[in-house]
Amino acid sequence: MEAPEVQTRRWDPIVKITHWGIVGVVICNALLVGDGSIAHIYAGYLLAALLALRLAWGLIGPASARFRSFPPSPMRAIKHIGDILAGRKEEHSSHNPLGALMVYAVWTCLSVIVATGVAMSGPPPSVEFPISTSILVSRDEHGEEEEGQHEEGERGHGGESGVGESEEALEELHEAAVNLLYLLVFLHIAGVAFEAARSGRRTLTAMLPGGK
Amino acid sequence: MKDRAISNIRRGDRHITTVAVIVVIQAIAAAFFLADAVVDISTGELSLHIFTEMLIAFALLAGIGLGAWQTAQMIEQARHDADALAVARGAASQLMDLRFRQWGLTDAEAEVALFSLKGFEVAEIARLRNVAEGTVRAQLTSIYAKSGVSSRHALLSLFFEDLIEIEHH
Ligand code: HEM
Repeated sequence: MEAPEVQTRRWDPIVKITHWGIVGVVICNALLVGDGSIAHIYAGYLLAALLALRLAWGLIGPASARFRSFPPSPMRAIKHIGDILAGRKEEHSSHNPLGALMVYAVWTCLSVIVATGVAMSGPPPSVEFPISTSILVSRDEHGEEEEGQHEEGERGHGGESGVGESEEALEELHEAAVNLLYLLVFLHIAGVAFEAARSGRRTLTAMLPGGK
Repeated sequence: MKDRAISNIRRGDRHITTVAVIVVIQAIAAAFFLADAVVDISTGELSLHIFTEMLIAFALLAGIGLGAWQTAQMIEQARHDADALAVARGAASQLMDLRFRQWGLTDAEAEVALFSLKGFEVAEIARLRNVAEGTVRAQLTSIYAKSGVSSRHALLSLFFEDLIEIEHH
């Protein structure tokens, strides 16, 4: 007889849309548009919205999306590592305990990025149409500074004068959090790949559109 | 024949996805609106403009909250339905196995009985099993004889009764 085809979905559409939306924003701001560009700021607000919605969803969403089903617990994470070493496989209806720690780390990191970003940029800059794409995506639309284009992250802004110290501190925090995020994302993808190899493709496909 | 239970579930899933997309769009709109409104509200004097902005902000947030809550309810309900369906299917298929064995159906007869219960016509069953229609008809006759009924409907209601009884225990 046929296998029961009706399997409960692990991730609901809100979790999936916010996940891939966040991935899209991170890729956009890391690779496609200049730091501090108009597009960068708008993408940042998009990230803020997706993150806020996901966090609210952790309180009011269905069981598998709730914080309650994946509490940040180092004890359980250690037990889970024990399970892995012993070759035991458990079905988790939400994130596994290691994954849970990663998720909270990523969310904290994203929150710091959003908070420092908003503090630096203020509200989304108004845009007069028509506007060329090059202006949208080029660095530092708010004009002031930036004679010497600063290279990624390093203290290339030699001759800046108008930037206050707090602004500088915000920028450093923003960049540090972003670098930490890259590290976490690397570990996250490695973790997903490992888990998919260990306990089956469903780990991955559950997060894809239409996957269960 | 289409599996109606599954296609119902798919339809429900599409509906949930649509509502979820709308909630996400609302959340994005709210973030941009609030970013502007907060600046206005914190810097400006209390004016009609600011009052309107506060009202809109409140309506947006309430709308998102309500939409999200309803989406969550729909998702929980759909999961509950899917679980119930799986349990019912498991019970139904166990029961069929049991009865088919009790009646002493051959493997071929058991398969034909299953197809028949699932609503396939003689011609379809013959095609699926790659045999003549006459063979299927003979097998059905034998199935009815062994189970003590005279038609497919009677066969179906045997299971239906049992399953409904099971539910009540
Ligand atoms: C910018 C890059 C990424 C970030 C910031 C990110 C962040 C996250 C977060 C926060 C979660 C928790 C989801 C939730 O509960 O809402 C998650 C889960 C997940 N992500 Fe990502 N992710 C990224 C890239 C990727 C990529 C490229 C893949 C695919 C290879 C992926 C696959 C998954 C899967 C399968 C889960 C579910 C894990 C589980 O079963 O516990 N992610 N991710």
